Amino acid sequence: MNSSSLNILSSPPLIISTSTPSLKPFHSPNFSPKLPKRINLNFVSKQNPKHDFPVSFATASVEAPFRTTTTADKLHLLVSEFRSLTEPIDRVKRLLNYATALAPFDDSARVPENRVTGCTTQVWLEIKMDELGRMRFKADSDSEISKGFCSCLIWILDGAKPEEVMGVRGEDLSEMNVGVHGKVQSRVNTWHNVLMSMQKRTKALVGDADVAHREGDRTVTHQRSLLFGYVNGRGYLESSSKAHRDYSVSLLPLGYDFTI
Amino acid sequence: MEGVAMKLPSFKSLAPTAISVASTFSRRRSFSFVRRSSSLSATITADSESVSLGQRARKDFRILHQEVNGSKLVYLDSAATSQKPASVLEALQNYYEFYNSNVHRGIHYLSAKATDEFELARKKVARFINANDSREIVFTRNATEAINLVAYSWGLSNLKPGDEVILTVAEHHSCIVPWQIVSQKTGAVLKFVTLNEDEVPDIDMLRGMISEKTKLVAVHHVSNVLASSLPIEEIVVWAHDVGAKVLVDACQSVPHMVVDVQKLNADFLVASSHKMCGPTGIGFLYGKSDLLLAMPPFLGGGEMISDVFLDHSTYAEPPSRFEAGTPAIGEAIALGAACDYLSEIGMPKIHEYEVELANYLYEKLSSVPDVRIYGPRPSESVRRAALCSFNVEGLHPTDLATFLDQQHGVAIRSGHHCAQPLHRYLGVNASARASLYFYNTKEDVDSFIVALADTVSFFNSFK
Repeated sequence: MNSSSLNILSSPPLIISTSTPSLKPFHSPNFSPKLPKRINLNFVSKQNPKHDFPVSFATASVEAPFRTTTTADKLHLLVSEFRSLTEPIDRVKRLLNYATALAPFDDSARVPENRVTGCTTQVWLEIKMDELGRMRFKADSDSEISKGFCSCLIWILDGAKPEEVMGVRGEDLSEMNVGVHGKVQSRVNTWHNVLMSMQKRTKALVGDADVAHREGDRTVTHQRSLLFGYVNGRGYLESSSKAHRDYSVSLLPLGYDFTI
Repeated sequence: MEGVAMKLPSFKSLAPTAISVASTFSRRRSFSFVRRSSSLSATITADSESVSLGQRARKDFRILHQEVNGSKLVYLDSAATSQKPASVLEALQNYYEFYNSNVHRGIHYLSAKATDEFELARKKVARFINANDSREIVFTRNATEAINLVAYSWGLSNLKPGDEVILTVAEHHSCIVPWQIVSQKTGAVLKFVTLNEDEVPDIDMLRGMISEKTKLVAVHHVSNVLASSLPIEEIVVWAHDVGAKVLVDACQSVPHMVVDVQKLNADFLVASSHKMCGPTGIGFLYGKSDLLLAMPPFLGGGEMISDVFLDHSTYAEPPSRFEAGTPAIGEAIALGAACDYLSEIGMPKIHEYEVELANYLYEKLSSVPDVRIYGPRPSESVRRAALCSFNVEGLHPTDLATFLDQQHGVAIRSGHHCAQPLHRYLGVNASARASLYFYNTKEDVDSFIVALADTVSFFNSFK
């Protein structure tokens, strides 16, 4: 069941037109992770891309979409999936299943620059931008549960646009918490650190691409920062003109033993 | 009565049973067969040997009687911090409720009482480790601060370029990092003793390293990962022969066994309160009087001064010299209460019980397949502390600890246990550690082993 649910979504999803009210989550600039209860667990209603996002995205959606399932959709799916698992042991099992689905990691990529800091387990993250400007991720860990977290994150974000990567917030994924107690803490910090690392390095790669275009394209960068502003409605990531948050430092003291 | 009963030379030849009557007057502890029936607050009579110390002590620890994630809590993380008995919590509460007041300079009744209790706590700690004088006890925030005190105060004024400081690779970070900082500032050199094939620090290597250049040997008494102990008395002899000082990190030994600084003859000894049934926020440094007298202050402020002028100040005598600012008064008093509680049970008894538990834990843990325990094998000559750091083949310790907590309510620690160099030396990133204290029982160990076996089979089913 588990690996098959992954396969369903890598191919173009079934398009089910539902009644308009279910459009609501996709209209607001702030993606609310709290789905209205109507949304079905396994299939996502896919509306016309143009109406999904606020106007400023229209410029970005002009290019041919790489895939029709958006990052937001996948995020919601994963959140619902984990939310439906009320027994902690079932979540662990699901994560371990996802761990087996993780693509093999090249030994040559196991270098210090690819280490995700702040985790007691060792996590490596390889990140590239492909020709279409999408972010590609690969990860590995010596802990099976961490591998599960990585697998989930990669499933959501591999092939996503940089803005989509930056748009995922920690709280959105709090449902994946393996512990019943605690919110964004304990084991969840592993994926939180991985997410931070993904976002920081995405930003760096985008920044490099920006520099190449900076000469003629003031407006593009301005629009891009607008995009950032929109996607992260609460200003989670400041626009590129403000000081950058340094994610290489874990949000909890590094000596913190990320156990129970 | 007491003075007369203390000396009983004429009774020596009599049978022990005859002396027992007199000994209850003299309060001498050397007669081990005299049952300490009043030891615990529980109303258990003296002949109930069938109930273990752990089972009896548990009554004093309310925190142990709870459920975690749907299972009974099994707390096996006492090496990280111990639980506190009701009497210690009461002492802390009483302080704040009845006589909280700043110490040392007040005239009024509350202040005098707080000062008396605070200084009494110092005496209790001194007596607990058999120091000569309570002025040899400096209260600090914890053992880490105590080691930093020695490093910054004694180290900076005594270490010269080329001087050597000997440590082991198994030291806690708190006994490595301050020396790194100080050696950078002074030009001293750090030398590390590695482990031998029994996975204990190589004593012969340590002996060989001690030379004329050695100025300090800073070692643990009991290792928080390997569960091994070092022969401090011998190390002190070797060090003193070359004029070096010895600092003993006794965090894992003071709570679990009799530690007598006269016997050890160490120059400095540090311990934390929170590992010995006391509250967090307080620890102490024991230093020989002549050493402390010669040391400059560490932190500056109130309490540690004699006179303050605008351009200079004069400093107080130790221990006040090293206790700047308002101390953790309530915590110190509670630490005193913890010393009382432990002394009432009797440290020899606690140690004896823990040796039994340690062997039981090791035995049971080694019977689980694919488990690798770090440290020496217990034997007649090698006593392990009641803790085991281990790894299970193919299972990350953090996953293990998560599952144990989630599904079985068993609390163990996973990570590097503030001993990264040791883990690097052993070739692992992290390990899991189960550590016991006198309020644990064999049943706790059994629950742990069952839970461990379940965890291992769960993760194996995904391979």
